[in-house]
Amino acid sequence: MADPIVVIRDLSKVYRQGDINVIALNGISLGISAGEFVVLMGPSGSGKSTLLHIIAGIDSATSGEVRVQGINVANLNESQLADWRNQNVGFVFQSFNLIPVLTAHENVELPLLLTALGRKERRQQVEIALGLVGLADRGHHRPDQMSGGQQQRVAIARALVTDPALIVADEPTGNLDARSAQDVLGILQSLSRDAGKTVIMVTHDPKAAVYGTRELHLEKGELARDSVPS
Amino acid sequence: MKGILQRIGHILSLLSPMTWLGGLARLWVRWFGLGPFSFVLINAVRNQRRATLTVLSVASSCALLVTLLTLQRELTVPPESEGASLRIIARNKVSLAQPLPAKQLATVEKIPGVVAVSPFTYFGGNYKGEEMTSFAQFAVDPARFRELLVEGRISDGSYDEFIKDRNSCFVGADTMKRYGLKIGDKMKFTGTFYPVDLDLKIAAVFQGTVDDRGVFFHHKLLDELNGDPGTVGTWYLRVASAEVANDVIARVNKAFENSTAEVRAESERAFQMGFISMLGNVKVLTLSISGVVVFTLMLVTVSTMSMAIRERFRELAILKALGFRRRDLFSFILAESFGLAALGALVGIGGAWALWTFLDLQKMTNGFLLYFEVTPRIMASGAIVAAVLGILAAIGPSLAVARMSVVEGLKTLD
Repeated sequence: MADPIVVIRDLSKVYRQGDINVIALNGISLGISAGEFVVLMGPSGSGKSTLLHIIAGIDSATSGEVRVQGINVANLNESQLADWRNQNVGFVFQSFNLIPVLTAHENVELPLLLTALGRKERRQQVEIALGLVGLADRGHHRPDQMSGGQQQRVAIARALVTDPALIVADEPTGNLDARSAQDVLGILQSLSRDAGKTVIMVTHDPKAAVYGTRELHLEKGELARDSVPS
Repeated sequence: MKGILQRIGHILSLLSPMTWLGGLARLWVRWFGLGPFSFVLINAVRNQRRATLTVLSVASSCALLVTLLTLQRELTVPPESEGASLRIIARNKVSLAQPLPAKQLATVEKIPGVVAVSPFTYFGGNYKGEEMTSFAQFAVDPARFRELLVEGRISDGSYDEFIKDRNSCFVGADTMKRYGLKIGDKMKFTGTFYPVDLDLKIAAVFQGTVDDRGVFFHHKLLDELNGDPGTVGTWYLRVASAEVANDVIARVNKAFENSTAEVRAESERAFQMGFISMLGNVKVLTLSISGVVVFTLMLVTVSTMSMAIRERFRELAILKALGFRRRDLFSFILAESFGLAALGALVGIGGAWALWTFLDLQKMTNGFLLYFEVTPRIMASGAIVAAVLGILAAIGPSLAVARMSVVEGLKTLD
């Protein structure tokens, strides 16, 4: 097995709700190798989204350690963390979260504005990314001119345009019909299998889980099962 | 019918500057690619109705502010003329309403540095039964008064005729034009300060002074009508040069020290300022109203920016997730807020300038407002206020965005 790209040690997250402490994650330890397609499953409130957010550097742990490509994310300051996310993590959300006033091309180009790439190089990268998700001819369309499935594919193109090692997807098929969901899962699977990207996906859908190479089942903030999807 | 209404709506939207700005942003992206500038511009005009209303709110506030500042200037700063530095007015030290003895003339004209001196008495009459006449009438010694006219010229009639005819008057071109008068016409005034009326024949017209409205007539006529009281309202002096003006003022004051009619001599400008102070504290009043306008302007822009940012929390959270830093987001918000405020300022200040420059306010206000000049300084004040408010309005929303975590931003709006 390849060296783990994500190493999590004794990770805990406790939320404060009024006077009560809510334990979202409790002593999670695991490793995720490069190129794995990990599916995080579990009932609502089991901590799977929280785990995903901490790995992606948009939330912080109460205790424990998360290392991604050897970097302890908790040690980065706000600016370093922003740069790190831009270079290493691609995000795909349930509700697509595209900027409605920008075209598909511009939405995909957004993360590249933070890089040193020139206009021409940016355009090439965007065209490649849109081509990978099968939307090369829809670059000039705005989100409201596209279907849900197409919007999610644009979001995937945006996630991979900076060529990150890690792609995190939070219920990416939650708002899609069965056909579009299959397309999106197929693309994520292909990114993991063919492009060597590490994909971590949260889902409730057992049918979506079969696209992954590994299934982590969380319950009450603890890792209940680590298995291969069947 | 629906189609026609839609077409009208479409045409109206094409008239909106926000539509043009949106189009400009799109063109910019096409030519130069997506960048911070086009991103800010696209966001600023994404809600065209709100952006238009914001710009109009800032514009109307700026226009009001500029108008108030112009009004304050009009009421508190007298127009300066070339000859003003050479002219001195000497009045009774007790008050302007107290007359001076006419016999002081012999002393005043002998004071070194004095080139010319004339009695100068405010008549304060109402023309042709008007309730309040907006131009002043002064009784002068026509022969001596000629020497006091440094700027301006005789545009019609003859000054010599004015000197010769005790019942004649010397009238400003603006007044002639306003009342459609010509040489030889009669002007009748009902006295308000003096219990006498005047019936004057127009002998000459002057033009080219800072205020071409006044009417001047013979002091001898006023004396005659009042039973020759042997008094004048003030003395109007012209000095040899601006350098000797202060010396002359001191000498005039000293000449009548400890007399029964002590004199207070001052420059024409100082005299006008003293006259203005009798209007009350106009400056405080206009500044108070301006303060309220600025405060309202601030509330409008802060409220608009807060709304605009609040409805975009999710997008800003996404931008944060994608790697944009707090300072990037602050720059976007600041540029948007500043841009809308600047556009509003441009429309408001430019509009006020055009309105007050091309409107004949003198005619519309019956001569109450003479110049109403929107100076570069006033326009700059309006622009600075709008710019500062644009920056201040960005601070609150920026702090809220800086404090917001990505997860919070997504949760709030998902």
